[in-house]
Amino acid sequence: MNNIQEIEGPRGLKGWYTNMMSAGWVVPTFVATWICIVVIPLVIMVYFSFLDVRYYEVYYDEPSFKIWWSIIESGRWMAVTRTLRITATLTIIQLLIAFPFALWLAKGCQSKGVKASIITLLTIPFFLDASSRIIVWRPILGTNGVINTVLMDLGIINQPMEWMLFSEFAVHFGMLAPYFPTMVFPIFLVLTLIDDEYIQASRDLGASPGQTLFHVILPLSLPGIVAGVVFTMVPLMAAFVEPGMLGGGFVNVLGDSIEAALRNLKYPTAAAMSTLVMILLALLLVVLVVISRRRGALGNIFQTMKR
Amino acid sequence: MTDQASQFVSATIHGQMGQERVLFWRHIVSWGGWTQIAKWAGLIVILLTYIPLVWLAVMSFSERPLSGMPYPITIEHYAALMADKAWREPLLESVIMGLIVGAVCMVVATAVGRAIPRMIRPGGVLLLALSPLFVPALTMGAALFIFLREYLDLRLGLWSIFIAHIVWALPFSLLLVLVIATRFDLRLLEAASDLGASTWRRFWDIEFPILRPGIIGAGLFGFLLSFNELLRSIFLRGSETTMPLYNWTMAASHQSQVPIIFALATVILAITLPLMAVFFWLLFARLDRST
Repeated sequence: MNNIQEIEGPRGLKGWYTNMMSAGWVVPTFVATWICIVVIPLVIMVYFSFLDVRYYEVYYDEPSFKIWWSIIESGRWMAVTRTLRITATLTIIQLLIAFPFALWLAKGCQSKGVKASIITLLTIPFFLDASSRIIVWRPILGTNGVINTVLMDLGIINQPMEWMLFSEFAVHFGMLAPYFPTMVFPIFLVLTLIDDEYIQASRDLGASPGQTLFHVILPLSLPGIVAGVVFTMVPLMAAFVEPGMLGGGFVNVLGDSIEAALRNLKYPTAAAMSTLVMILLALLLVVLVVISRRRGALGNIFQTMKR
Repeated sequence: MTDQASQFVSATIHGQMGQERVLFWRHIVSWGGWTQIAKWAGLIVILLTYIPLVWLAVMSFSERPLSGMPYPITIEHYAALMADKAWREPLLESVIMGLIVGAVCMVVATAVGRAIPRMIRPGGVLLLALSPLFVPALTMGAALFIFLREYLDLRLGLWSIFIAHIVWALPFSLLLVLVIATRFDLRLLEAASDLGASTWRRFWDIEFPILRPGIIGAGLFGFLLSFNELLRSIFLRGSETTMPLYNWTMAASHQSQVPIIFALATVILAITLPLMAVFFWLLFARLDRST
């Protein structure tokens, strides 16, 4: 890949064309298909957010900011801030647990069998059916669920703890495990790519474990942390199955609003809120890229990819 | 290096920080217990994934799966599952959809994955191909729904679910093929062509064996991701029902049907979980040995 990449083709429109056709007809066909089923739908969605709906009919005349204002005026703004808060809280918790764990897995875990088993356990959740594994938290956390029943039988509590289900606690708790692997994997991959010799050199030069961590390991693993945060936040921002099943209608998030708006044929409202999710995520991505570029970490991504 | 010398170095690095404070932090950071805490905190979160699965299986034998204790024990939900026919069509639909998505992912990911590294500047195409990974499921589902149903005024059905699944699964499959394809030495093909091999023979005898793990992985990821896809299918289902949609409707509806999905999910897990565990364990153990 590298020796071909170094030959720079001509720039401009002709350069673009040469580049597209440089590997045969497969790439242009794929790009055209992908534009049709990914890019155009997203553009149309943004366009819809400026339209109006009257009597369940979408009107294509006079695009306006009307829907955007209605989102700010109606209570939906609450759902946006709640979603952001839950997403931020969970991402921070995930990061605090995932980074040390990934460090242990990449550098501390000596047994290859244990490592392969843990990676397997982290991979399988990507392929599990969401609803059946979430619904089972109900008989565990509910007022006559197993935790409350056991604690009451043991006489530790007198009354069932009602805050455990259909609450923000339940939503946070239920989303902890499903989105953990997306945080661990990128950090783990970047950490395995850090040469053990760097860490050894840092130790030989007299740095304490803390100094090695903050001045060597952390800067080198920043690309992985950025990737982990992005891949965890993207699904969290739009989650609605977990909040729906474990929040019991008390935890209204952005995803619920979008789903409800689509069900009620309010397409422009749904489009505007989906666009909002995209804007928020794009802002986040920009912030993260700026932070990591300031620390010179973006170069590391390409360094590590070349190896 | 003596301990004193290393203390000196760290004290000079930290300049303004007093030596006692440095010692204090060194003491905190070099405490051996952090490794154990790091390890167990992660393992507990992983356990939180698997405890519900075990409990799901236990409760599927309980008379009232949505209440607390798995008592009294019964197999009546499995009997009801056998008598009920409503879940068979969604299951069949999901299996067929998964097989088609898996096959398409395998072919497209291979074709595109081996073409991208040969481009002069692959960055833009790569970013476009992976862009669905940065779009939340809900947004992609809503966008495709608005585009296909409202803008183009088409009747949604299995084909629209298929498009949504491809958009979701293909980037992952592509990544798997790319991981291997970028390491592939194109000089091997030049050598083969110098020796007089045809285009097809060059692909089949040289490229394919090297790319095979990525290609098989691409197909498997395509199948598994499609088989369990829920969030996009919700919007693009039309009047169709796939397995995850069926589970979702049953679980969300507070119906008496809930016990059946406990039994059904247990059966599906009992089949798929060991297969996945063995496959991924073999894959990762082999990857680890080869590096």
